[in-house]
Amino acid sequence: MPWRRPRKHVDRARDIGRSEEEALEEKAEHAEEDEAVELAAIDGASIVEAATGEAEDERMPSDLAAKLGAAAEGHEFRAWGEEAEDREVADREVADREVADREVAGRDRVVGTARPEDTSPSEAVVAHVEDGVDLEVEVARGLRLRNPVLTASGTFGQGVEYAELIDVSRLGAMVNKGTTVHARPGNPQYRIAETPSGILNSIGLENPGAAAVAKKYGKEWPGLRLPVIVNVAGYTVADYVGVVLEMEGTPGVVAYELNVSCPNVKGGTLFGCDPELAAEVTRAVKAETDKPVIVKLTPSAPDVVAVARACEEAGADGLTAINTVPGMRIDVAKRRPVLGTGTGGLSGPAIRPIAVHITYQVARAVSIPIIGAGGVTCAKDALEFLMAGASAVQVGSATFADPLAPIKTVEGLAEYVRASGLASIRDIVGAAQRGGKRDAGTEYVQ
Amino acid sequence: MILETGRVVASETVADLGTLIVVSAPLVAARAHPGQFVHVRPGERFDPLLRRPYSFNGIDRHAGEIELLVKPLGPGGEWIAQRHPGDPLDLLGPLGTSFVVHRATTHLLLVAGGTGIAPMKVLAEQESARRNVTLVMGGRTIHHLWPAHRLPAAVEYVTTTEDGSFGVRGRVTDALPQYIAWADQLCACGPWPMLAAIGRLRHDAARATTVVPGKEVLLDAQIAVEQHMGCAMGVCRACVIVTQHGNARVCREGPVFSLGDVRFAQGEPATVGLTA
Repeated sequence: MPWRRPRKHVDRARDIGRSEEEALEEKAEHAEEDEAVELAAIDGASIVEAATGEAEDERMPSDLAAKLGAAAEGHEFRAWGEEAEDREVADREVADREVADREVAGRDRVVGTARPEDTSPSEAVVAHVEDGVDLEVEVARGLRLRNPVLTASGTFGQGVEYAELIDVSRLGAMVNKGTTVHARPGNPQYRIAETPSGILNSIGLENPGAAAVAKKYGKEWPGLRLPVIVNVAGYTVADYVGVVLEMEGTPGVVAYELNVSCPNVKGGTLFGCDPELAAEVTRAVKAETDKPVIVKLTPSAPDVVAVARACEEAGADGLTAINTVPGMRIDVAKRRPVLGTGTGGLSGPAIRPIAVHITYQVARAVSIPIIGAGGVTCAKDALEFLMAGASAVQVGSATFADPLAPIKTVEGLAEYVRASGLASIRDIVGAAQRGGKRDAGTEYVQ
Repeated sequence: MILETGRVVASETVADLGTLIVVSAPLVAARAHPGQFVHVRPGERFDPLLRRPYSFNGIDRHAGEIELLVKPLGPGGEWIAQRHPGDPLDLLGPLGTSFVVHRATTHLLLVAGGTGIAPMKVLAEQESARRNVTLVMGGRTIHHLWPAHRLPAAVEYVTTTEDGSFGVRGRVTDALPQYIAWADQLCACGPWPMLAAIGRLRHDAARATTVVPGKEVLLDAQIAVEQHMGCAMGVCRACVIVTQHGNARVCREGPVFSLGDVRFAQGEPATVGLTA
């Protein structure tokens, strides 16, 4: 039994010995409280809000039940997303005031807050590097975007999260988190591990299900001013069709990207590993929608080019190359795999050469547009994919390290078009397939 | 939250707990609360790629500075721990939920294990002027304890070590019951086994048919948890834990949870159902 300080033996009493000053202070504090209560009664604010004049920014941990209450039915994060946004808007306003205050001393320290001005059409338009540069591309048949930079599925949520931090309307489009017909709880922990220049993940397609996604985000997507491509995943052909039917007519959605890296319930082969299966899914989805359908190729396929060709013949409007590469890490101390499921998908700069190679091969074999994906961190990386034959790129894991990476890629591409005297970014697509530029120095170092 | 390039002001090693880094980051400091964290970029390139989450170990709004306790784990943690005064540090934050001390609380009990001291130290600093605060900290040895002179003098500091090199021999939870009976409110942060042990105390108290001193305190306890994290923006769903109400993201719905909401399994976070 350790020694206890005597003053603390007072059993749950409020009135521990106070000096007169303290008593007076407390009295004054209570006067303020009373005032706050009155104020709160007038405008419906909480007491803290009324007292401070600012939106209350402390979140009670007990809110969890309310936040997650509807999750069981698949209606995930209805309440908390909005609450978080309100908080962030208030935070941003504070930040803006502070930035103005610190104009001389600290302005250049703030590198990336989405300002309300940026997204409000009534305000004066802020000049961007990419203004006046022709970056428009066709990323799939029938889908033209203002620039060739998209965000990859699973690394950009539903768009609303990063919209709190960056001006998402400067991007070409976003691909949402993989969506399945029914809600999925995802895989056991750990779900993520770091690898050299990359990430290994095994999230397990945790999502609230297509109906919940359509219901909640259909209201929010148009406000982002960012075209949305829905990433569709499933374990049967009917699953894929089900998601597309559920998402049809959702505001903001411009196309579908089929994640064919899922095992087929019948037989267990990945849809994307078998040209027949991939074509079957593509045909089934194409029959149900008029929107462009993009198939995301998996590097696990024994013959990716054959799968790409089969999808083109089945009516695919575009291809994404590539999905993650299977990988594993072992925890040496624990003598078992780090990830809960053992294996995971490798992404990040580590897989870029694989992705560029597949893009190059597929571009020779098909005539539909290709979106390059795999380790894009900047404009130079994006140019590798474009020159290999891709019409656009997706930025994925890089966003985790630098949330500004997608926007910096847009800016860098615009600068490249300007500096190279190109008429448009489209002129560079497939340049590496055409013999290249003879008067430039060789670049063999990274 | 905000992206801010902070500047390292000071750096020193604190026992075997890690490296204490003071960073000038006025915008992050201005809106930081105990329990919340910053996601720190471990380099200027993309290798290592993932940012590292650190709970605030100190918040000085006046000076516009924050304090982080960095354990040099992995290449990213090592890089951050090696920053020198004057170096820039890319911060994303503050993120997540914070501890909420009730207005009526007069006796606040804080429980810390390892680097879980961070938010407890901030709470001790912020609350010791208005309430009686007792901090109970456990570590393997005396070198795994937060130095007493770095706490406000008004805080009662109780320590336990597994090897008995300082304070009570044993684990934090061995020393806890009497303090729980004394407290109005409990906040804890530390490794999962420690939190799970407190969870068991809560579970037993909730089930008890006899009067348990401090039952309300346990029922109402708040904890901050750790999980391997990806984006910290709520998009990747790498950091989810299982709660009574379903999956919850540590980076958004957490890291501070109601103890009663979090599910444990054998001293670890309960795992999400089987793969489909």
